Amino acid sequence: MVEFWHAQTFCAYLVARRRLRTCAILAPMTAIPPPALIRQDGRDKVTGSGRYAADLTVTGMLHGAFRVADVPHARIRRLDTTAARALPGVHAVITAADVPDHRYGAFLKDRTLFARDVVRWEGELIAAVAATTPEIAARAAALIDIDLEALPSVTDLELAARPDSPLVHDAWATYEADENLVRDRNLASRSTIVKGDAATAMAEADIVVKDRYVADGSHAVPIEPRAILAEWTGDHVTIWTSTQVPFAVRSGVAETLGLAQNQIRVIVPHLGGGFGAKCELGFEAQVAALSKAAGRAVKVVFSRREEFLLPDHRRERMIMELETGVRRDGTIVARRGHLIVDNGAYSMDEPFLGQLAAMFAVGPYRIPNIDITADTVYTNTQPSGSVRAPTGPTTCWALEQHHDVVAERLGLDPVEFRRRNLVHEGDTGPAGQVFERIGVLETLERAAAAVGWGKPLPEGEAIGVATGWWPSFPLASGAHLTINADGSGTIVTGAQECGTGAVMALPILAAEVLGMRPDQFRILYQDTDAGPYDSGASGSQTTFNNGRAVIAAATEVRDQLLELAANLLEANLADLELVDGMARVKGSSTASVSIADLASEASGAGLLLGRGSGLPPPTPAVNAASCVGRLGAESFAAPTFFTHAARVKVDRDTGVVRVLEIAAAHESGTIINPIGAAGQIYGGVAMGMGQALSEGIQLSADGRQRNAYLLDYKLQTVADMPPIHVDFVDAPSPTAGPKGLKGIAEPPNVPTPGAIANAIARALGTRIHELPMTPERIWGAMAANGES
Amino acid sequence: MGGHFSAPSSLSDALTAVAAGHRPVAGGTDLVVGTRQGKWTLPEDLVALDRIAELHGIVATDGGLRIGATTSHADLAADQAIRERWTAIADAASIVGSPATRHIGTLGGNLANASPAAETSGPLLCFEALVEVRSATGSRRIALADLFSGPGRTAIRQDEIIVAVELPELAGAGSCYVRLEFRRQMEIAVVGATAVVRLEGDIVREARIAITALAPTVRRIAAAESSLIGSDGGPAAAAEAGRLAAGAATPISDVRASLDYRRAMAAVVVRRAVTGAIARARGETLLIPASASTFGAS
Amino acid sequence: MRYPVTLQVNETSYPLEIEPGRTLLSVLRGELGLTGSKEGCDDSECGACIVLIDGRPVNSCSYLALQADGRQVTTVEGLASGSTLHPLQRAFLEHGGVQCGFCTPGMLISATALLRANPDPTEDDIRAGLSGNLCRCTGYVGIVAAVQAAAAELTRAD
Repeated sequence: MVEFWHAQTFCAYLVARRRLRTCAILAPMTAIPPPALIRQDGRDKVTGSGRYAADLTVTGMLHGAFRVADVPHARIRRLDTTAARALPGVHAVITAADVPDHRYGAFLKDRTLFARDVVRWEGELIAAVAATTPEIAARAAALIDIDLEALPSVTDLELAARPDSPLVHDAWATYEADENLVRDRNLASRSTIVKGDAATAMAEADIVVKDRYVADGSHAVPIEPRAILAEWTGDHVTIWTSTQVPFAVRSGVAETLGLAQNQIRVIVPHLGGGFGAKCELGFEAQVAALSKAAGRAVKVVFSRREEFLLPDHRRERMIMELETGVRRDGTIVARRGHLIVDNGAYSMDEPFLGQLAAMFAVGPYRIPNIDITADTVYTNTQPSGSVRAPTGPTTCWALEQHHDVVAERLGLDPVEFRRRNLVHEGDTGPAGQVFERIGVLETLERAAAAVGWGKPLPEGEAIGVATGWWPSFPLASGAHLTINADGSGTIVTGAQECGTGAVMALPILAAEVLGMRPDQFRILYQDTDAGPYDSGASGSQTTFNNGRAVIAAATEVRDQLLELAANLLEANLADLELVDGMARVKGSSTASVSIADLASEASGAGLLLGRGSGLPPPTPAVNAASCVGRLGAESFAAPTFFTHAARVKVDRDTGVVRVLEIAAAHESGTIINPIGAAGQIYGGVAMGMGQALSEGIQLSADGRQRNAYLLDYKLQTVADMPPIHVDFVDAPSPTAGPKGLKGIAEPPNVPTPGAIANAIARALGTRIHELPMTPERIWGAMAANGES
Repeated sequence: MGGHFSAPSSLSDALTAVAAGHRPVAGGTDLVVGTRQGKWTLPEDLVALDRIAELHGIVATDGGLRIGATTSHADLAADQAIRERWTAIADAASIVGSPATRHIGTLGGNLANASPAAETSGPLLCFEALVEVRSATGSRRIALADLFSGPGRTAIRQDEIIVAVELPELAGAGSCYVRLEFRRQMEIAVVGATAVVRLEGDIVREARIAITALAPTVRRIAAAESSLIGSDGGPAAAAEAGRLAAGAATPISDVRASLDYRRAMAAVVVRRAVTGAIARARGETLLIPASASTFGAS
Repeated sequence: MRYPVTLQVNETSYPLEIEPGRTLLSVLRGELGLTGSKEGCDDSECGACIVLIDGRPVNSCSYLALQADGRQVTTVEGLASGSTLHPLQRAFLEHGGVQCGFCTPGMLISATALLRANPDPTEDDIRAGLSGNLCRCTGYVGIVAAVQAAAAELTRAD
């Protein structure tokens, strides 16, 4: 197995599950009442005093700018930085020649910090400039003289997958890669899910439905364009950056620049959203190298256009062919599928994501015979990478439309069709995982009921539903907890807050263990020299894993407090409890001592210090011998389940869709912070609506983005948002996170596009096979269907 | 760094500045944004018009209106006379950009920018507005029909400033501006249409129809207008006007829509604008902005 | 060439000399160190930079700093009274209107402008008034609820 430097969730997940041999089973508990939680970072954020990376300035700081390829595929014939270096105000210009010659990548080491010899997508970095002002840096970057020889651009996904396609990487076979990666030429990764005998079952099915769906790529679009500031002190570099994964940045900078991890400190000021785009090593190594070359601190702030064009994390384009065989009674007997996933020009976590997509093409349904292949292929386009629930919404959109088509062919109500096929406790999943207590059926029933499924609707309106699933990611994670001499608490964690409030809610867990109030804790977070490792704001994992770590750290401190109290109160340890800021003999109101007094006592000796990590819960065992490209997603740990129901109205003349109402029912185990959890659902629905209707990367024939600005890459506005009914189905799992909780941040945008698609199809009698379902595409589909 | 800047409070100072080659700026919502997007570099020398009181405000004239060039879209959309008698302008002004853009962006700036997608141009064209421009040496009136010579190009000379837009009286008319909208807010016209009609009894006696973002400049479609005149303005007549306008459109394919879709939508928005204008001419209520209230209409 | 200008920001005077091409946002964030107003896009689409100029909401990224000479500029830093949060700020915290916080300054300013012009807005009024501010985190639900709550509180206080 390749030695991974990379700590981004999926990779860390893979490593973790391969190593896991033991597990800690946490007993499910009932939901605790929701405390009113005002975010620790809230005051900073509403007063404007909070600093984000772009807001920072250090003495002597220079401004950096990148020069990018601006063509999709070309050989570099000449690269001359003389004129740029000569411009007054320029302190440094660096190219591939100025950094270690090293290829990196999570599963497939195919990329370098700057282009060497060949550029493979329009946003590929060629050089970086540091100058006294941003304007001079930009002017110098433009002065870099580059002679490029155009090469044929591989844009079309199906052509890219063909053996006679031009290669994106001539030397693909020489790249170091994960031993489980199945690849060939432009095929960067193939993953299959195989179960039973799909061919025979399909041949014997009463009805077989086959159809095809095509989805454009899309963008994460955090409202904060990224910014990075690097400053060296001797051989130690501090990097302030807008990343979701500070520890992955640290290990990535260490690997690519040949440093030890303790030579690098990554600090994230407030992070203005990420949604996946700020996962993995971003541009920190280049800025650190530029700062080293300039001998000064250097800050790079992206424009919105750069934020669209340069990152290596867009949501992947996909082509999905799905085939389902059913019996007349509506029972699914077989599923075949072929998915082509756009890897883009280089690989970060995308080679892993095909396997996730294959799992989503099965969905949370009982299917005895399965044969799904997901091919992730190189193209000369922006690299794909995890964007909120990578491959999830896209595959769910296709699958749940496909299921409605099957239901229609059966003459069966779509909700009833799902009711008959959804998985139950004890069922066996795609590759043999056995489901524990789950609440998927309840999500279907509740979402459908919430929008009045089956009741008459006004002319032109219709309702659609979509159901899906998403894994939790059990990972290593750490935290420290201290009770200070005055009884206040400090949590020092490696976890990263990206806005969701996951880190902000950690005091709830600590407070419960220690009999204190959440507001008695202060959190220090997102600084790699302060907190222990955590895999970052990625994979919906923070509460799941860092919550466990905080509880473990708090538990150590609780034991220390109880021991002190036992001495002071001359009581038995086993008879003591921590309640309302006091240690007391259970049930007694007199035999007690305050935590503040205990802390004061401890400040003389035997400090109250807790450290926590805890063991991640296990991932279900699988029997996946017939699957290839096994990268760790053959079973889903603590899967979450959900159904969205959407009521829409379509303007038949224009194809414009208005979403009138969304019901979102989620089974996410135990909900710890209801306001925060609901906030995730609302935001996910909005992002899902965007992907459904208005957000798509338009590519030119040679693979360049045509709408890399917000006026024509349209997010949903506040005026577009309908009422959203949120419903949580409580089904704590014994093998989930603390208290039986599961991840919540990514799932909410998974089923929204599918629900809207099915509503559109029911409103029009015409199904839309392209994503986003823009007015023009809807109009075109109606025209092709003989309307208009 | 060279660059002159002045923000005079008198028009004559501003005219002196533009005579010296300084570029006028009102709200900056086109000029500065275009600079940030790299469409052009910011002119070296600028003269800001926002402090010149006489350029601002709406006054009634002989049955008509005189609108100062730096009147904001928000002020246009809120003006009672415009809402009642030149309703299509209110339809258009209330959907320009964002609330902030509407507060700071001006009518004169919108016209000077000469975008084929500018919302207010179609209604002003149909109302046969006159644009008063002034230079240090004199003033002249340009009919709106003669103002635009192509995308981003106008008949205004470099030493001239738009000072006002004059709307002639148009008694008893109903008007409506409809734009195709992919979102409910924050849109730009991909296809737009204006209709102004005057009825006698149930018969359309006068009709003006303009299309927006469907040709290099906003333009009226004579064939559609004549087909509507003498009709009852009902669904068939509105559809016929839409069909004729779509046929006369010369749309392009770009990142926002294909030529075919634009042409098809031309027929739809013209039909809806005509129907809306007829309804308003009859005294029926159609909420401003019409684009939102005609969603899903036949 | 630089021009003398006195910017009145949050009731404080800042005498400066700046070049004509500078945007108000760059001067607020640069010379004045008021980094609460954010830069989120190039085309006045995101609203993170919105400030009040003489009470009206303006995208400060596309407004020339010299044009603000003598006008009253209000940024997010000017909303609270000392350590007491403005009711809108408090409502954003209490109703889940803040997640990553990057859109928050512009949202608060647009909401302030809205409530000054329309103290008792309908939900549709709120949605129209905030439509020039993009948020990627909240689905806008907590934001709309916060503006409703603050409007109710401010109306009661009058």
